[in-house]
Amino acid sequence: MIEFQNASYSYIKGNGVNNLNVKIDEGEFAFLIGPTGSGKTTLMRLIYFDLIPDAGMVIVGKYSSSTITTRKIPGARKGVGMVFQDYKLLGDRNLFENTALPLHALGFPGKEIVDRVEEALDLVGLETKSEHLPMELSGGEQQRACLARAIVKEPDILLADEPTGNLDPVASFELVRLLETINEMGTTILMASHNYNLIKGRGRRILEIKNGTLRGA
Amino acid sequence: MDKILYLISEGFKNILRHKMTAFTAVFSLFLALFFVGLIATAGENTHKILQYLRAKYKIEVFFDQNVPNEKALGLIHQIKKINGVRTVTLIDKEDALRIFKDQFGEDIMDILGYNPLPVSAVINLVRTSKIPVKAAPIVNKIEAMDGVSEVRYQGSLIRKIEYTYYRILGKLPIVAGIVILVAVLVIYNTVKLSVYSRKQLITTLEMIGATRTFIKMPFIFEGFFIAFMSSAIAFPTLLATIKTGNYFLANFTSWGIRLNFDPIIWIWLIILSTCITALGSYRAIAGILK
Repeated sequence: MIEFQNASYSYIKGNGVNNLNVKIDEGEFAFLIGPTGSGKTTLMRLIYFDLIPDAGMVIVGKYSSSTITTRKIPGARKGVGMVFQDYKLLGDRNLFENTALPLHALGFPGKEIVDRVEEALDLVGLETKSEHLPMELSGGEQQRACLARAIVKEPDILLADEPTGNLDPVASFELVRLLETINEMGTTILMASHNYNLIKGRGRRILEIKNGTLRGA
Repeated sequence: MDKILYLISEGFKNILRHKMTAFTAVFSLFLALFFVGLIATAGENTHKILQYLRAKYKIEVFFDQNVPNEKALGLIHQIKKINGVRTVTLIDKEDALRIFKDQFGEDIMDILGYNPLPVSAVINLVRTSKIPVKAAPIVNKIEAMDGVSEVRYQGSLIRKIEYTYYRILGKLPIVAGIVILVAVLVIYNTVKLSVYSRKQLITTLEMIGATRTFIKMPFIFEGFFIAFMSSAIAFPTLLATIKTGNYFLANFTSWGIRLNFDPIIWIWLIILSTCITALGSYRAIAGILK
């Protein structure tokens, strides 16, 4: 499903990732752990082709970083849902509109959009807050809203980049449980975190990244 | 179809969501269009001022004392044929006597016992000529006619008016060009700023897999709506300004000038603002999109 083959990327000012070799199988739930600045976000960005490796290759489903063009990137991202530490919800739209955004982008018909959004909000426990603006929600609710937006299009892969970074321990735990539920439905999940206590003992593969290099892959 | 309707409605909703930004854009556009409209209207109407001034141009021809009214009529027919002459009015000896009495209050016949005033004519020059009117060649032709004693005209005044008008007319396209360029830059940058202020929306849409077209279209539609609203306000404001101008010209001057407003200008304003906003939106988004 996701495969890194000797993939490297370096920023102009240094850092980045070096010679990554890892494969994440379909339906797997893997954690990516490492300190701040270790390359977790870079690795994630390589998966959704926000960055293209300087060397090596990243394969995501049927797309490969070595052959993908700018025009094909939206197509590759259709199968990838993303959850961000800072939520990236649009402050001028209510929860329903935020969640429906990917479906509009993919050209779903109006009736199906309503059904899918209701279903996604129901799954994350925000069905009663669909008319609320993001600023009217707590941090945990905003992160769940971000998750609803990521899963509404039923992606094959879900990338969660430090989704619990701004949450308290209880909300963090609930979010990971929610991700596990989504994984049980067949979605491949890669979750980046620097909170080892949150992910340990869950029986999932843990990839450790440090100074841009993967350990225990 | 759902997608197109969504993109159009998003363009409109963006205006409602960002009222202050939209207001700034509409107001800047309105000001730019208003000034472009004023310049265009001024360009349309400058010829009327010249026509008004040309109506005042006058050449007075005095015939020899021995030229009778009948011969003077013959000369007038010849003068009428000269290029640049619009009308010629004969003032025969009796008319001259009446005019003298009106102006000086005395009957010259009572003083001298005969009428010493010659037959004369007043010549008006063409008003609608697209090239500068030159009185000197006309005067030279009249002076060369047999029976003409004297020709009086405001040569230097006519020269000054014609020279000044054509100098202004020559520079008007440059002034209009500068105003349009400033307007274009104002509109373009307003739209760009409006797009940049929503950079987060664009990057979020990119992340969720929206195509470049899907990202651009609501901004372009929004640009269309803003352009339409601005020109919808600019049109009645221009019309009201011109009507007010006409009211003052009619009630406080005796120039007899009435300014015209060509609705074609409005259509040009809509086209101009729509093209610039669409281009501004497109370029601004292209700058943000990777």
